[in-house]
Amino acid sequence: MTPPPTIAERRPEVVTREIPSWREGWTTAATSADHKVVAKLFMGTSLSFLAIAALTFALARIQLIVPDSTIMRPDIFAQMSATAMVSITVLFAVPFVLGLLGYIVPLQIGARSVALPRLNQLAYWLYAAGALVYFVSFLYLAPETGLAPQPPMSDDLFSPSGGVDAWIGGVGLATLGFICWSINMIATLKNMRAPGMAWRRAPVLAWAARVVSYVLLITGAAMVAALVMLTVDRQYDGVFFDAGLGGEPMLFSHLSWLYFTGIHTVMVVTALAVISEIIPTFSRKPLFSHSAVAGSLVAVGVLGTLAWMQNLYASPLAEGFAFFTMLVAILCLVPIGLVYIVWTMTMWNGAVSTRAPLVLAITGAVALVTGLAGELATSVVGVGLLLENTVAAQQDTILVITGFVLAMFAALHYWLPKVTGRAVHEGPAKAAAALIFVSALTYGLAMFLAGVAGQPVDVFRYFEDDGVSTLNLIASIASFFFFVGIFIELVNLVRSYSGGRPVGHDPWQGTTLEWFALSPPPAHNFDAVPDVRSAEPLSDIREAIRERKATFVPPEPLEATEPPEPEIEGDTPTADPEDIVSEEAEEPSAGSDPETEVEAEEPSAGSDPETEAEETAEPVEGSDPTVEDDAADSGADTPPVS
Amino acid sequence: MRFPIPGRLVFALAALLALALAQPANGAIAPDAAHSPNAEDMRTGYWVMLIVATLISLAFIGGLVVAVRRFRSERPSDQPRHLTAGRGFIAKLGAGLVALALAIFVFGIVVSNGVREATAEDGAEEIEIQAVAQQWLWRFGYPEQAEGSFSEGISTIFSYGELVVPVDTVVNLNIRSTDVIHSWFVPALGPQIWAVPGETQELSFIADEEGIYPGRSTVFSGAAGYPVMRAVVRVVSADEYADYIEGLNTNLQEGQAAVHEAATAQDDAAASEEDSATEEGE
Repeated sequence: MTPPPTIAERRPEVVTREIPSWREGWTTAATSADHKVVAKLFMGTSLSFLAIAALTFALARIQLIVPDSTIMRPDIFAQMSATAMVSITVLFAVPFVLGLLGYIVPLQIGARSVALPRLNQLAYWLYAAGALVYFVSFLYLAPETGLAPQPPMSDDLFSPSGGVDAWIGGVGLATLGFICWSINMIATLKNMRAPGMAWRRAPVLAWAARVVSYVLLITGAAMVAALVMLTVDRQYDGVFFDAGLGGEPMLFSHLSWLYFTGIHTVMVVTALAVISEIIPTFSRKPLFSHSAVAGSLVAVGVLGTLAWMQNLYASPLAEGFAFFTMLVAILCLVPIGLVYIVWTMTMWNGAVSTRAPLVLAITGAVALVTGLAGELATSVVGVGLLLENTVAAQQDTILVITGFVLAMFAALHYWLPKVTGRAVHEGPAKAAAALIFVSALTYGLAMFLAGVAGQPVDVFRYFEDDGVSTLNLIASIASFFFFVGIFIELVNLVRSYSGGRPVGHDPWQGTTLEWFALSPPPAHNFDAVPDVRSAEPLSDIREAIRERKATFVPPEPLEATEPPEPEIEGDTPTADPEDIVSEEAEEPSAGSDPETEVEAEEPSAGSDPETEAEETAEPVEGSDPTVEDDAADSGADTPPVS
Repeated sequence: MRFPIPGRLVFALAALLALALAQPANGAIAPDAAHSPNAEDMRTGYWVMLIVATLISLAFIGGLVVAVRRFRSERPSDQPRHLTAGRGFIAKLGAGLVALALAIFVFGIVVSNGVREATAEDGAEEIEIQAVAQQWLWRFGYPEQAEGSFSEGISTIFSYGELVVPVDTVVNLNIRSTDVIHSWFVPALGPQIWAVPGETQELSFIADEEGIYPGRSTVFSGAAGYPVMRAVVRVVSADEYADYIEGLNTNLQEGQAAVHEAATAQDDAAASEEDSATEEGE
């Protein structure tokens, strides 16, 4: 057989990495439609907004240290707290989730790319444009009307400044980006799962991606509609929200709360999924019930989003709607409770290793459930009408956000080795986790008491005889510590990104397919995608290798001669790793051509651990030092002759 | 890598936490005492849900903490153990949680039903109050007590910022707003209700004791005035209330008389001026 005229004939993706890129650095980052590059942009940008959110939150708290404070002008305070709220939700939480899921989930489902890479890229740039539009307004007049300015407050009559327009533009563009991302993710999850990966075998994080993308698609569209209407009202004399001319101001409240409740749900679902990925790995046990967690994530997505009227009990709302909302909000207890019990049962009888990802995940889980329990209490209409819109209800949400942030830090510690091939320093992370957790809890407790004493949200001052002075002092100090904790961890992440210890491809002995890829993964993710036969494909592969080792009879030692030539090797049908994997699973894998495989891949090119070891297929010790023990051992063995 | 400073910071924070716990501000964990039947229901709901939420979160946290402490092990070579749930186990667990959730829901219905209305005993007097919010004060109209009216349904007598009502009387508030969304919230006298432009929301309460009950708005209504968007309800005896209304009416009449007098004088002056102007013009 004559060699083909080009180097890339039948499996072009295998050899792409041989061709040096003609673009460098930021040009690649800005123009590549690779889902991993886009996801890294998402994560990096959103983490900078986490820093901004923590900073503005602490700055706004400076004003509230003492009663009747005159440190800040009221509008400056309102800008700070509005920026903190918008940054943490729209500019940090959602985009970070999109980045994390956008990086990991295609790897987890064994996809070599995403379905609509350019749409995915557009999503990032829309979000970046939205963030820019929002923050450029600080050059003239920043928005000062809170997380979601409700008309008529946000009509041009009461808020004539351009700040609200900047808010509309920023949030609107970012939300359009989220919708684009969701469309891509839905298409990817539908079409690009590895062979054999039925939904019941899909990793928990892939389930979360499915829930998140549907929630964002639906609630994001509602928000964009609301923003368009508000723009028409403000710029073109529209009357959508003008009660005097037949409009309905509450319409905007409902649509925007649908969106922000959706974001809240996205945060909770992602945090639950990330913790559900980390706990089994660090307990060395499979998830106690994969189907229960997957089903629970869907249930939280549906019920949580349906509970959007939780913040509108005091508005003109028929009692039936309030009770419906109360029902769905309370029913969230069922899936969330199931997930917590599954976590406990997963660790039960396991070998729990308290590495940084697990510590962060557990502290995150505790903060999350504390906040969620508070929200359960305020979802009862009578209690909600007492605490809603006071700082007591607000601190529940802040605790949920804290739990989410800790879970996302856990995710970074867990998956950043996949992104960079390097470990993240664990010492500072544990210190930061303790600091963030304790300060959030202190803040929460102080603000809970202040809220019960009647302090409303978003006030720029309170008075001596309100009786909340000490509580606000404590909360302010706690918020400064909170900022310090976030800052320590962010610095730690930045330092570890390029300076961490190299840890190889599978530092945690993960069980899902992303650990089958290299670290960092090549542009095409996988050279070979294994058939999936369970929710833990890598466990299957390890099990197969272990079995094979147990039944392995060493062949006659070969004479020490020249290594056989690759062509000859290629002709023997046993050299293909996929065959070996599938052999153990008793089903030939589809679409693997031993000839091409061997021709195309070089031993040193560093494909996945097992593949590489088998690929050399010689009785010499030539395996990757970072490969886990099992694989390395088997790799050094001569493959069995079938 | 050791980080001694965050360790100390955590310690300082723990001290703060203890300080917050020991804070007896305003009766610490108890909201303002209830002085209306519907506010009492809300207090019941608050205490029960506080306990339920604490117990639920402690149970979940406890499970995690016990599991981590008990099965903590740094032996990476441990063989994975396969212990997974059967379908039946999860179904039973789910059924238990559903039952718990439904119990909370039923309890929620009981304490929340009719929370906007204070149910009166037979024969209790009722008065109607028009509570109108604007940036950044409340205007209370007393349409039933007013002598005469400007136009139908609009009271001629007002008080600003302070609502005066008689004790043991059903007070029906009609809450409206003339500009942006505000919130009526007097914790001692029932739930918070939003004042939304274009809508009239109803809320009733029966104050069971004389006294002064502070309230505040809880919906952002503009940076400058929102913290002082407050209202006070002064509950007085029936006699004092009659005096108060009397005073408002008298004030109004005196005021109107004065305005009328001034207007007449002005008219006269204008007329004479006009006369002289006419004369000059001629």
